[in-house]
Amino acid sequence: MEDSVDLAITKQLEGFTLDVAWTAGDGIAVLFGPSGSGKSLTLRCLAGLERPDAGRMVVNGRVFFDAARGVDVPPHRRRIGYVFQGYALFPHLSVGQNIAFGLRDRPRAERQRRAQEVMERLGLGDVARRAPRELSGGQQQRVALGRALAVDPDLLLLDEPLSALDAPLRRQLREDLDRTLRDWGKPAVLVTHDLSEAYQLADRVIVYDRGRVIQASSKTEFLWQPSSERVARLIGLRNVLLGTVVKATPDRLQLHWRGQVLEAVNSPTRAYLPAAGASLAFFIRPEYVRLIRKDRMAPDAGHHMNLMRGRVVGEADQGTTWSLRMRLDEPGPAAQGEYDLEVEVPSLVYEILEIKDDRQWEFSIHRGSIHVLPS
Amino acid sequence: MSQEAFDAVRLSVQVAVLATVLNALIGIPFAYVLAKRRFWGRAILDVAVTLPLVLPPTVTGYYLIVVLGRRGWLGAPLYDLTGWTVAFTSYAAVIAATVMALPLLVRTARAAIESIDPDLEKAARTLGRSEWRTALEVTLPLARNGILAGLVLAFARALGEFGATLMLAGNIPGKTTTVPLAIYTAVQTGEADEVLLLVAVLTLISCIVLVLSGRLGARAA
Repeated sequence: MEDSVDLAITKQLEGFTLDVAWTAGDGIAVLFGPSGSGKSLTLRCLAGLERPDAGRMVVNGRVFFDAARGVDVPPHRRRIGYVFQGYALFPHLSVGQNIAFGLRDRPRAERQRRAQEVMERLGLGDVARRAPRELSGGQQQRVALGRALAVDPDLLLLDEPLSALDAPLRRQLREDLDRTLRDWGKPAVLVTHDLSEAYQLADRVIVYDRGRVIQASSKTEFLWQPSSERVARLIGLRNVLLGTVVKATPDRLQLHWRGQVLEAVNSPTRAYLPAAGASLAFFIRPEYVRLIRKDRMAPDAGHHMNLMRGRVVGEADQGTTWSLRMRLDEPGPAAQGEYDLEVEVPSLVYEILEIKDDRQWEFSIHRGSIHVLPS
Repeated sequence: MSQEAFDAVRLSVQVAVLATVLNALIGIPFAYVLAKRRFWGRAILDVAVTLPLVLPPTVTGYYLIVVLGRRGWLGAPLYDLTGWTVAFTSYAAVIAATVMALPLLVRTARAAIESIDPDLEKAARTLGRSEWRTALEVTLPLARNGILAGLVLAFARALGEFGATLMLAGNIPGKTTTVPLAIYTAVQTGEADEVLLLVAVLTLISCIVLVLSGRLGARAA
């Protein structure tokens, strides 16, 4: 199946170089990364609002830009829809006129019918005659979306579509947006620096960092198999740690870390066989560290995987969970400043185990919860 | 009101209206180009358009003579060809008023155009509008109040023009004597009533202009 977007461009700005190449099929591709990493710039290049210095962009088989051949289709001929971060609704036109704006070259009857259809589908029928400034943030977002979709574009581009909204509204609208995009079924490229947004809306995630793409993969691979320590940090993963390889087989990896020998599962998609003594980065999700209850003795010593001992040296109440910082009983400097591991327990568990008073714990980590990061 | 006073007012209004129309036709495109495009010579154009605002009016008047006078760069060939020169005609009053008022319009219109959110224009481009259509359907309509404020200011400036007009057009009653020139003459000859009348007319018009311009400027914000 042909890719919806096939892009490889470079652009030099003052103090910043964009050098990216990626493809996306049907569905929603999310450009994810920190602010200033070049995601919005890429989007503007796709739209024709900025011109790359070199490279090629092909959308649905149409060549939008080819530096080598001198092809540069102007934005008004690219048939793309663009939703701006601040919506950019025309203040001097009504909602209905905004939505119909791209339809000028069609006969009047069809224009009105189409605009009406779009407004109804997005729940904007009541506000057709109002001015954009009279609308709520959520309504404005829908108008911006409707305006872009009304022209039936080949590709939809969304630049941080939810950033302009307050947090509680954002969650609701994220679901609405998800539903709308899937209903309309158009290929889309969406820019965000919000992880939850990326995760919910994406089929495919393209990770940007300082003008380059450091990972391009499906949504699940992105979250569960980040391709590098850098990606893991961008996702905001905790417990990103460094160990040394003891032994590597296609199924298992043994690592030396903080005086412990840990056993991890080797990555299923990569036959990763580092040499003994090699340095290896890995991460452990805080919520997958199991504190062992003291009233239930283990049947045998080998029952718990990756068993360790330590004490709580810091804690924070996060409402529904507690975040604990554990320091291993092992002598020597701790792996993350004052502590070795961050552990997250539900508030109920915190109370039942009386962690407030009892600071010394054994804990275990399933080998499948130690995720290896190739360098 | 005496015949001379009436002629002066009639002439002033005609000159100011014509000058403002000319300024709109020249100035709005200039303002747009200066606001939107980068090109070689942009800084020079910017300075050239702003000069009449800063130079003493008689200096601008002198330059007008150098270019358009009977022995001027353009005026001499014109005279040789047709035996006619623009100096000391009503057309000269219009030209002087236009040149002196142009910078006011261009600066105000340019600021208004620059204040339009660029994302609005980009949105129009993605929705199928060429650069030209975007300017007509989005940028200029949104900048309309600021541009109108500029036109009103330009009208007021054209109405009050004295120095450059005197140089290029002279002070010929019925032909080039605008109200400011008539006031000057009347004070010289000691005609107190005439002076008061003309001054009152100009002051009234200026006040109306200020209020209008302020209202339009506020609505533009």
